[in-house]
Amino acid sequence: MSNQTIEEKSPTDLLAIEIAGIRFPNPIWTASGTCGYGLDMAELIDLDRLGAICTKGLSARPLRGNPPWRIVETHGGMLNAIGLQNIGARAFINEKLPLLRRYQARVIPNVFGYTIDEYIEAIRILEDGEGIAGYELNISCPNVKAGGESFANDPRQAAEVTAAVRRVSTRPVIVKLSPNVTSIAASALAVEAAGADALSLINTAIGMAVDVNTRRPRLANVTGGLSGPAIKPIAVRCVFQAARAVRIPIIGIGGIATIIDALEFIIAGASAVQVGTANFYDPTASMKIIDGLADYCRQHGLRSIGELVGTIRLDQ
Amino acid sequence: MIDTIARVEENELTESASRRRYGRLRLRIKVPIAVQPGQFAMIRPHAGEEPLLRRAMAFHRADRQGDHLLAEFIYQIVGRGTEALARLRINDEVDLLGPLGNTFDLGETAGTEALLVAGGAGSPALHMLAGQLNARAIPTRFFIGGASSGDLCALADFIELLGAERVTTATIDGSRGVTGFVTAPLEAAIARLERPAVIYACGPDPMLHRVARIAAESNLPAQLSLEAPMACGFGICVGCAVPVRHDCPEGFIYQKVCTDGPVFRSETLAW
Ligand SMILES: Cc1cc2nc3c(=O)[nH]c(=O)nc-3n(C[C@H](O)[C@H](O)[C@H](O)COP(=O)(O)OP(=O)(O)OC[C@H]3O[C@@H](n4cnc5c(N)ncnc54)[C@H](O)[C@@H]3O)c2cc1C
Ligand SMILES: Cc1cc2nc3c(=O)[nH]c(=O)nc-3n(C[C@H](O)[C@H](O)[C@H](O)COP(=O)(O)O)c2cc1C
Ligand code: FES
Repeated sequence: MSNQTIEEKSPTDLLAIEIAGIRFPNPIWTASGTCGYGLDMAELIDLDRLGAICTKGLSARPLRGNPPWRIVETHGGMLNAIGLQNIGARAFINEKLPLLRRYQARVIPNVFGYTIDEYIEAIRILEDGEGIAGYELNISCPNVKAGGESFANDPRQAAEVTAAVRRVSTRPVIVKLSPNVTSIAASALAVEAAGADALSLINTAIGMAVDVNTRRPRLANVTGGLSGPAIKPIAVRCVFQAARAVRIPIIGIGGIATIIDALEFIIAGASAVQVGTANFYDPTASMKIIDGLADYCRQHGLRSIGELVGTIRLDQ
Repeated sequence: MIDTIARVEENELTESASRRRYGRLRLRIKVPIAVQPGQFAMIRPHAGEEPLLRRAMAFHRADRQGDHLLAEFIYQIVGRGTEALARLRINDEVDLLGPLGNTFDLGETAGTEALLVAGGAGSPALHMLAGQLNARAIPTRFFIGGASSGDLCALADFIELLGAERVTTATIDGSRGVTGFVTAPLEAAIARLERPAVIYACGPDPMLHRVARIAAESNLPAQLSLEAPMACGFGICVGCAVPVRHDCPEGFIYQKVCTDGPVFRSETLAW
């Protein structure tokens, strides 16, 4: 109702957003690999209040994952090399989705493969599932048919996998970009041109830690993905640069744990944000951010959180 | 499982002759959560972000006091997270997520004897179990090993619960009990068993491997409480993988220590 004052507006009026034609109750989502298949969080947070859940990365077939050790804490963050262990797309739609779709949070399966065909196969399986809002493509996996470098490393390969998925998907496709590239703007432009409906960024930054007593890497996989507050400035910079390069909406990810963190991303150009590693050490962080966002809108006279997106001031 | 802020009632630090340091942390939780033997909590100081991730600690005690719970943890100080716990003062706040994990299965103890085996800071995970076995009048013996007498965590609590005659100690430096590893007196006791027995163990991996072998050789069931690096403690990060036997070409799959465990039957493990 247009004659409502901002104080009278409900959190939903203030926070609802639309991305790629999908309406989300609010711009706070949980990030892939940091909330299981969503259901595991239900005992701790109200899934009806969350904007969306990005599931653990799903492949066409189940994957066993890496040997331990898989995680190690670093300063202000953690390294992980889980190895994309997952139950497979088919088990997800049979066992998890029917329970998950009972909640208001939109369901966004995160999808990966080691070849373009594997991405297509996983999407085809997920197309059978009901109650899926869209897909998020993790393109940070090695492309085994093209020398084993990650799809994300080469804008051409990133575009190729995006276009291939776009052709078989009836649902919006969000492409998740990696910070481990020379130019995030070039990656963003390439996947936008290939038909991506939105971008999410960033995935983890590749890192490594060494045990000085044994002189061994602290992770069995040697290297791992760095996440948590330590990567936030890199992520804000990536969102800012991508937002200036493309017209499609951007979803910000990287070290978000508080309302201030979320606001930084939104001001830098993100239409929505995902809470990742914070779910591990502060499982209710997403709920606190949702409460804080509505308060911020009221305090700053915003009729909708959308008014804040990309309002970063660069004037002197 | 709840996520709450608990308050420190006591945090007593000790150091053993082997220079290892330990803390005994008593927390008041303002929710009367029900804790089962073998379960754990993820804890860290509430103030600040050091460490970022909470650390897994077994409930040593969990006593109801009206609508509160008094919980006790015993921790060995081994790194950043436990150093941060050691700095906690009375009345400080602690983030606590719990209770987490499965519990020891007492189903197979009827008519048997329980042999509890702890290495170093593994004993807290067995203390509530000892209490429950005692309450059910199941004959229980406790074996604990460590580098030196000061490393036999919570020894006095087990003696109080079971009586000194049911507690066997082993130390590497010979400062208390048998000299050497705890698995030696365990094997000797198994050789003299008069009825079937069930083994329950918690401690460093090498000790658990040895216990698993002894259990297999003597045809006794063993339940082992495992440790793994954990980011979340409630099943969402998949960081705490342990290989478990499975009917597939590779012969195993990874399960989660936090939600499938921490207690596993030794014969199911593929390590
Ligand atoms: C279910 C469960 C119950 C536990 N209960 C107790 C308990 O009652 N008392 C107690 O003292 N400890 C317990 N632990 C172990 C405790 O969680 C670790 O010692 C602690 O996380 C170490 O944190 P830190 O930051 O001090 O050390 P870090 O700096 O993380 O590590 C120091 C050293 O310990 C090793 N380490 C780190 N984390 C673990 C871990 N989770 N398991 C095994 N080794 C590790 C590292 O490789 C390193 O060598 C338990 C662990 C689990 C999984
Ligand atoms: C343990 C763990 C597992 C993850 N698994 C996935 C995954 O399966 N697919 C994916 O696209 N991103 C995955 N990520 C990356 C996160 O979704 C997120 O992009 C990254 O961690 C940065 O955000 P954060 O700092 O808030 O955690 C994972 C991250 C962590 C910490
Ligand atoms: S510690 Fe996160 S899944 Fe077990």
